[in-house]
Amino acid sequence: MLLAAGLLRAQSTSPEEQARGLLEDGRTYRREGKLKQALDNFNTIVTGFANTDSVDDALLEIGRYQMEVEGNADKAREAFEVVTKRYPQSDGAPGAYYYLGLLTLDRAHSAADLDDALAQFTRVQRLYPRSEWVSRALYGTALAHRKAGRLPETVEAARRVALEYPSSEIAPAAQFQIGHALALMGEPRPAMEEFQRIRNRFPTSEWAPRALDRITALYRLYGGAKPVFALDPAFTAASGDVLKDVRAILMTPARVLWIASDKVKGVVPVGADGKVGAILNGADLQGLSLGPAGELVVAARMAVRVGPRDIRSFSVPTDKPGLTEPLAKIEAAVVTAGGLTLIADEKRRRVCRFDAKGQFQGPFPDAKERQIVRMAVDGEGGIAVLDRDQKTVQVYDEAGQLLRSVAARGAGWELKRPTDVAVDPFRNTYVADEEGFVYVFSPSGQLLASISGEVRKPRALTIDPAGAILVYDEKLERILRYR
Amino acid sequence: MRRTAAVLVALLACGLAGAAWAQEAVPAAPDAVQRELQAIEDLLVRAIAEFDGAQQSRSIVILDEIITRLESLRRDRTLPPRGREVLAQAYELRGRAYYNIGLQEKAADSFRSLIQLQPQYALSKDKVSPKIVDYFNSVKTALVGYLAVSSQPAGAKVTLNGEFLSLTDFFPLEILAGDYTVEIAREGYRTESRPVSIAPKATETLEVTLTRTSASAFLVTEPPGVEIWMDGALAVTTAGTLAPDFAAAVREKGLDPARASARTEIGGLSLGSHAIELRKKCHELVRKTVDFSEARDYDLEPVKMEESLASLSLRSEPPGAKIYLDGEAAGVTPKDLEGVCSGKHRVEVKHASGKFLQDVVLERNESLTLDCPIRPSLAFLGVVAESAGGERVAAEVQETLVRNLAKITSLNFVPAPRETVDRILEADRLARKGLLPGSGTDPDLIRKLTEKMAAALEVQGFLLAVLPEERLQRTAALHLLAAGNTVTDRFDVAFNEAASYLRFLSVVDQRAALYHPWTGIITVDTLLHEGVPVLRVAAASPGAEAGLQPGEVIDAADGHPIKQTAELLALVEAKKPKDKIALHVKGAGAARAVEVVLGQTPQEIPLNDPALLYNKVMMDLRQQVEGYPGTEAAAFARLNLAVCAMHFGDFAAAHEHLLKARTELPQRPGISQGTALYYLGLALERLGYKKEAGEAYRAAAAAKDATLFDNDGPAVAPLAARRAGS
Repeated sequence: MLLAAGLLRAQSTSPEEQARGLLEDGRTYRREGKLKQALDNFNTIVTGFANTDSVDDALLEIGRYQMEVEGNADKAREAFEVVTKRYPQSDGAPGAYYYLGLLTLDRAHSAADLDDALAQFTRVQRLYPRSEWVSRALYGTALAHRKAGRLPETVEAARRVALEYPSSEIAPAAQFQIGHALALMGEPRPAMEEFQRIRNRFPTSEWAPRALDRITALYRLYGGAKPVFALDPAFTAASGDVLKDVRAILMTPARVLWIASDKVKGVVPVGADGKVGAILNGADLQGLSLGPAGELVVAARMAVRVGPRDIRSFSVPTDKPGLTEPLAKIEAAVVTAGGLTLIADEKRRRVCRFDAKGQFQGPFPDAKERQIVRMAVDGEGGIAVLDRDQKTVQVYDEAGQLLRSVAARGAGWELKRPTDVAVDPFRNTYVADEEGFVYVFSPSGQLLASISGEVRKPRALTIDPAGAILVYDEKLERILRYR
Repeated sequence: MRRTAAVLVALLACGLAGAAWAQEAVPAAPDAVQRELQAIEDLLVRAIAEFDGAQQSRSIVILDEIITRLESLRRDRTLPPRGREVLAQAYELRGRAYYNIGLQEKAADSFRSLIQLQPQYALSKDKVSPKIVDYFNSVKTALVGYLAVSSQPAGAKVTLNGEFLSLTDFFPLEILAGDYTVEIAREGYRTESRPVSIAPKATETLEVTLTRTSASAFLVTEPPGVEIWMDGALAVTTAGTLAPDFAAAVREKGLDPARASARTEIGGLSLGSHAIELRKKCHELVRKTVDFSEARDYDLEPVKMEESLASLSLRSEPPGAKIYLDGEAAGVTPKDLEGVCSGKHRVEVKHASGKFLQDVVLERNESLTLDCPIRPSLAFLGVVAESAGGERVAAEVQETLVRNLAKITSLNFVPAPRETVDRILEADRLARKGLLPGSGTDPDLIRKLTEKMAAALEVQGFLLAVLPEERLQRTAALHLLAAGNTVTDRFDVAFNEAASYLRFLSVVDQRAALYHPWTGIITVDTLLHEGVPVLRVAAASPGAEAGLQPGEVIDAADGHPIKQTAELLALVEAKKPKDKIALHVKGAGAARAVEVVLGQTPQEIPLNDPALLYNKVMMDLRQQVEGYPGTEAAAFARLNLAVCAMHFGDFAAAHEHLLKARTELPQRPGISQGTALYYLGLALERLGYKKEAGEAYRAAAAAKDATLFDNDGPAVAPLAARRAGS
């Protein structure tokens, strides 16, 4: 009886209505995290209800799934292209162009790639000016400009989202980009206002706490007549052997402090609540950095660990054709936004460049010998390298072009025994010097602040999301926090 | 030819007189009879043409047909008065035609029929051959006698075998010889009936004294024009002036004879007790009970009506609105109306931006002050169905929609007269659906038509419901369109679900906030302070006037601890301009208390906010523009109108608004002329005027302190400078 009633119901709805129901249910599943069930629904629409108005939306959802869940850019692209080619008049078409733009942007390594991404976003604005996707496309435009280093254009595109689509989901993210771009353009006070707008208008958004961090960092540096870093006497992180023979420390955006200790032969995470997490074992630890997806990159003497499981070793060609030699004296390693792995090799006194498959691509930035002991990546594609011999910090782009540098000495500072380098989101450079100093330099290489006194022998440093400096003092065997 | 025409005119005049004579008994002729009569009259025109032609006898055939068809109606008792006149004329013409060809007997038959139809019918020798007139009169003499009736009192209605003849007294009238029953009737008197035999050439005379059966009352009022209602029905209205004979008696009763009415009769009063009400506009109602025990005349006590007036003070927002009291113009707001009649009144206060409408009841000597908020009016254009299923339920849905949408409070919701809308749309060959997006209608035509309809209906916007094609008809797409705009806002409601309407009502009744209380103190949140540090203080702002300095930290406001900017903003938002807020501030020196007197900042409408019905916002903004011309508020409203037009992609309209806003807005920090110039650049750019856009951007870039969004918003100058260079 129930079955009969169900059939009757099924018969009484049109294919359009059935497809619409499947789509709505699928989206509900997606929101609830039942991703496979959601995908089943979307696939059913594409195969069973191909002539309904819901098919473009289903394809869009399939593409999103492939992109966001599976990480399969090719399959995602395939789904989005079906929408743009077969259903160009549908309301899903602008969404498909938007996602195609994102896919292109994600893999963009050249000006031409960025132009391609921009073209996809512009298409949405031009062909579908009243579509709900325009705000996202404008945001995509802002991201593409930022990636290309065109900061005024970034501000302009993101500003359009904030002013023209203030209620859109993407508005807080766009507002964040405005603040960030202004900060990078050397306008910290307007940047703080823009970050504050996120807190005023979107207080519950995920961007609000991030904005608070950025304002704090900027205000500390630029809010008063001069930057003020004060020791936080209440701060403690870890204890015992973990704080012995510390080679590197790193604070993640989630405020997890990783401590690479040769004493405990591993990297120890300390949460924001002070709790110590599971150790990542490793000997001869040298450095820590964050990969482009936020994954932890641990450099050990003979290998590099990227994320929790991926342990890679690297070889370089020798003078003898066809023969390679493994890198066994690694000093530092970073993974760039473009997927390159850069490894500072003590033996060769060079930084070696490897592609995503681990193939040697040549020296970085050039063949000149340098004793690079620390490296750090900034959020804008810059790679800071600390040269122990020259006592300088130089920042290059992925192609090896010098972007900026910190000299060995200048008005009010002299790098005597630099041990570590860090870069904040605004491209300020932080240098620890064993002689008992921590220096903060502006992107133009000018000294913004110097810290000394309590700190005796800085060995490693990192910057927390709110711009506080965490320094490991080898003599004190503790981590100091300057807030 | 001329002679017959003259006869026709005379007959028509006679017919009209006859119609007037017997007007009480004339029922409206059914359509079929009217059509038949029209056809017969057409025949008569042909017959007259033949009659006046060379062969007059050819008219006889046509006249025969006319007579046959009219007699048929007469037998059916459906012959209207005008038909009787035509029939009489046909008989006359046929008789004369027969006479002229020598067939006198046949002529006599026609004349006899004519006289039986209308015994008073006469032929004039001025118009008809004297021989024929004599012949007609000889036939008539043999058929007709005379009757004269007089009554005491006169003015009684006389009927002859049930057909009205005349009012008494009258001189002898020609009556077809025969036996009749004569009835003489007058209200308040018993009807008298008499048999009478009329012989040819003889005259019968009746004199009747009528017997009274009811009472009459006579009343004098000051002033005249008082309605006298007897037992709930209007009996008579006093009128005229008082005859001198009664002046003394009336004066004795306290009335001014010069202002008193004539002695007015209320006749036909049954014996017994009666309730009398005396009513006159702007006067106190007078009630009396009177007893009439005998069928005679009564003189009632003269009545002086007391004036009953009140006063009405009308204020409106915006002022300067036209006042209509019961449809009569009564000045403009604000206005104190003295001497308004007590009682029920319809107050209409009309402004170009909307109107106010209310029924009020004023008591005597009452002073009523009425605030009349002017609201834009929304005309409901009805329901359009996109399927046969929809058409079947359209009327029912319309009724439901009207019932539910009448609950809109921010607008006057008025169903639009269908014929007015149809006339305007049809003049441009447009159906209602042509106003909707996707119809392909030229936007300029939509603009023109909506403005035309708005003027005709005295409204500022329109609502059209569309029933989409659905298996189960349950959705109505409500399309809202402001007058002068070209694109609708759509809001879907499930027309049978109350909650669905509530959602619509909450959106449509939402008023966009155009101003906010403002300090001009820009603070930020940090993890470094107990409180919020001041980052910037806007020039010439309340914060600047209070002496706030960048770097100071606000840690309390009005006694509440402030840990983040949102808390401070919420406190400010809850206040009104000119309110004060007490801040506790820490700086380089000692902590201090600062009192800030709040100002206000205008706020732009967001360009794209799905929560807004932009057409409704435009209606509200137009009210500001038209209601407060020349004010800053109007200028800001105009700027926002431009933003709304841009929302719809209507950059031409935006350009027009911005040209005005540019000159009307103040030149100062915050939302100002620079803001308008920036948007002007945007509009010009979108319209393809690159050079002019560049000029506007350059001018905007020079407005250093102008902002977007609100007075604390992003600066215009860098954005404009960038666009000027691009």
